[in-house]
Amino acid sequence: MIKVTHINKVYNAGRPNEFTAVRDVSLTVNLGEVTVLKGPSGSGKTTLLGILGCMVRPSSGRILLSDREITSLPERFLTQIRRETFGFIFQQFNLIKGLTALENVMAPAYPTGEKYAPLRARALESLALFNMGHKAAARVEWLSGGEAQRVAIARSLINNPAIIIADEPTAHLDTKLSHEFMAIVRQLKEKGKTILIASHDPIVYDSELMTSRIELRDGSVITPGSPA
Amino acid sequence: MPHTLEKQRHIIDFTLASLLRRKGKNGALFTVYTLIVFILASVMFFTYALKEEAALVLKGAPEIVVQRTLQGRYAPIPEEYAAKIKGIRGVMAVRSRVWGYYYDPVFMANYTIMAPESFSLGPGCIALGSGISRMRRAYEGDTISFTGADGKSRNFTISKILPQESQLLSADLILMAESEYREFSGLPPGLASDLTLKVRNPKELSTIAEKVVRLLPDSRPIIRNEILRTYDALFSWRGGLLIIIMSAAVLAFVIFAWDKASGLSAEEKKEIGILKAVGWETSDILFMKFWEGMTVSLTSFLAGTILAYLHIFFTAASLFAPVLKGWSVLYPEFRLTPFINPGQIATLFFLTVVPYTVTTIIPSWRAATIDPDSVLRS
Repeated sequence: MIKVTHINKVYNAGRPNEFTAVRDVSLTVNLGEVTVLKGPSGSGKTTLLGILGCMVRPSSGRILLSDREITSLPERFLTQIRRETFGFIFQQFNLIKGLTALENVMAPAYPTGEKYAPLRARALESLALFNMGHKAAARVEWLSGGEAQRVAIARSLINNPAIIIADEPTAHLDTKLSHEFMAIVRQLKEKGKTILIASHDPIVYDSELMTSRIELRDGSVITPGSPA
Repeated sequence: MPHTLEKQRHIIDFTLASLLRRKGKNGALFTVYTLIVFILASVMFFTYALKEEAALVLKGAPEIVVQRTLQGRYAPIPEEYAAKIKGIRGVMAVRSRVWGYYYDPVFMANYTIMAPESFSLGPGCIALGSGISRMRRAYEGDTISFTGADGKSRNFTISKILPQESQLLSADLILMAESEYREFSGLPPGLASDLTLKVRNPKELSTIAEKVVRLLPDSRPIIRNEILRTYDALFSWRGGLLIIIMSAAVLAFVIFAWDKASGLSAEEKKEIGILKAVGWETSDILFMKFWEGMTVSLTSFLAGTILAYLHIFFTAASLFAPVLKGWSVLYPEFRLTPFINPGQIATLFFLTVVPYTVTTIIPSWRAATIDPDSVLRS
C-alpha cells in the first residue's frame, strides 16, 4: 500500500517562476489494484506519479510505503526502494539508444550485482512474454513504437517489482496498439501487480480494468479514488 | 564481495557497449590521445636510451683527457707534456692522440679524422665511416679525395668501411696513418691533439686533474664523468625543449578532452537520468564514467606507448631524430638499444591517464546528482 497525506510539490520555490504542481493531495493506493490518475495536461498527474514512485521528493507532506515512512529517506535508500519496488514505463519509452533491446531490459538489474547468465535468461524471458524475444538483439532505434513500448514494459519488470508505474503509456500509440497495451495491463493485473497509470486517454481511464480512478485538476484531487 | 565484483562487471559491460555506440567521438578521442602519448613517450624513450647509449659508449673512453688551451681556446698539446704528466703519482699511462675535424664543403658535413697508434693499412689507405661512405657513395677499393690544410687535393684509397655496430661513434669517422694525417692537416711533429691518461685509483681522478693543472697551467684536464654530465644535460635539455613545444599540443588535447569527454551532451544527460530513474545510484553512474575514462585513457596510453617503443627502437626514431640527435648534417643511422625507465612510464601514466579520468568524472558528478524525475518531465 502507498499512502500519501497532505502532499505539496512546489517547483522553483521563492523564485519569480515558482509554481505549485501538486496541492495538498492525500490518497491511498492499495496493492493489487489498477489505479488511473486522470486529468488534463498540467494537472499534476506526472508529478504525483513521480512522488508515488519515489522519484520526486514532495515539498511537504508524508509518504508511507507499506506503513513505512519514506518521505525523508536519503537518496541512496530511495534509489534502492525504486529499484526493488517499482517498475517504470515512461511516456517517451526512454530506452537507451544504440543499445539492444536485451541490454535495455537488463540495465535496471545491473546495480543488483546478479550473475550475468541468470539475469540474461530472465531478460529474454521478459521479452518473450511480450512477443519480443526475436527482437532481443535489435537496437532499440530500429523498433516500431509498439515494439519499443513492449521493450520498455519488459524492462520495467526485470527486477520483479510489486508496483508498475506508467506515465501516459498510450500517448504515442495508435488505437490498435493502445488496446494491445491494455491487454498487457490485464496480464500484469492477473499476475497480481499493482498498477498506477497517469493518462488522459479514454481507452485507459474508461477501461474496465481500472479499480480506482483519481481525477486531478490544477494539482488538486477533485475525484478521489472513485470505484470502477 | 562477489556481488560487488559482478556489479562492476555489469557496469564495465554497459560502459563498453556505451563507448561502442559513439564510435566517431570516441575514435577521434582515442586517436588524439594516442598521438599525444606517442609523442611524449617517444621523447622520453629516445632521450633516455640516448643517454644510456652515450654512457655505454663512454665507458670505454679514457678516464682523463688532457687538452691544452691558448688564449682560452683549444690548442695542440706538446708531446713532451706526456712525460711530465707520467711523473705524477697515480698515473699509470699517458698516450698522445692525433685527430681533428674536416669540413667537406661539397656535402656541407663535418667528418672526424683520427690517426690511431696502431694503423695497419698501407700508405695512402684509409678506413671510412659508414655514414660518409653512404653519403659520398664511396666504397671499399674506391679512391676518395680530400683537400688538405695547404689547399691541395689528396687522393686516398678506401681499404675498409668501418663496421655498423659502432655507428654512433664511427659514422663520420676517417682513420688514416699518423704521418699522413700530420701532413694532410698541417699538425707539426711534436704536437698532439690531446693526451689520454690511465689512472690507478678512480677515486683520485679529480686530485690528479688538479695536479696536472698545477704542473702545466696551460692544460685543461677533462674527466670522463664530466663528459657524461654534459651529455646528460644536453639530452635532457633537448628532451625538455621538445616537451615544452609539445606542451602546446598537450594543452590543446586537454581542451579537446574536456570538450569531448566531460562536456556531457543532452543525450548523455538524458541517459544518466534514465539510469537513475530505473534504479542506478549516483555512485553507479560515477563508476560508469570512471570506467569510461579509464577505458579510453588506458587503451590510448598503451597504444601510444607501444607505438612510441616501435618508433624509437625499430624505426630509429625516424620522426624527430633530426631535432634530438644534433645539428650535424651527417646523421648516424643507428638503432638504439631499448632502455626503459619504469619511473618514466609511471610519470607518463600519471600525467595522461589520471588527469583525463578525473576530467571525465567531475562534470559527470553534477549530471549524476540530477533528480531522476527529469526523465518524467522531458
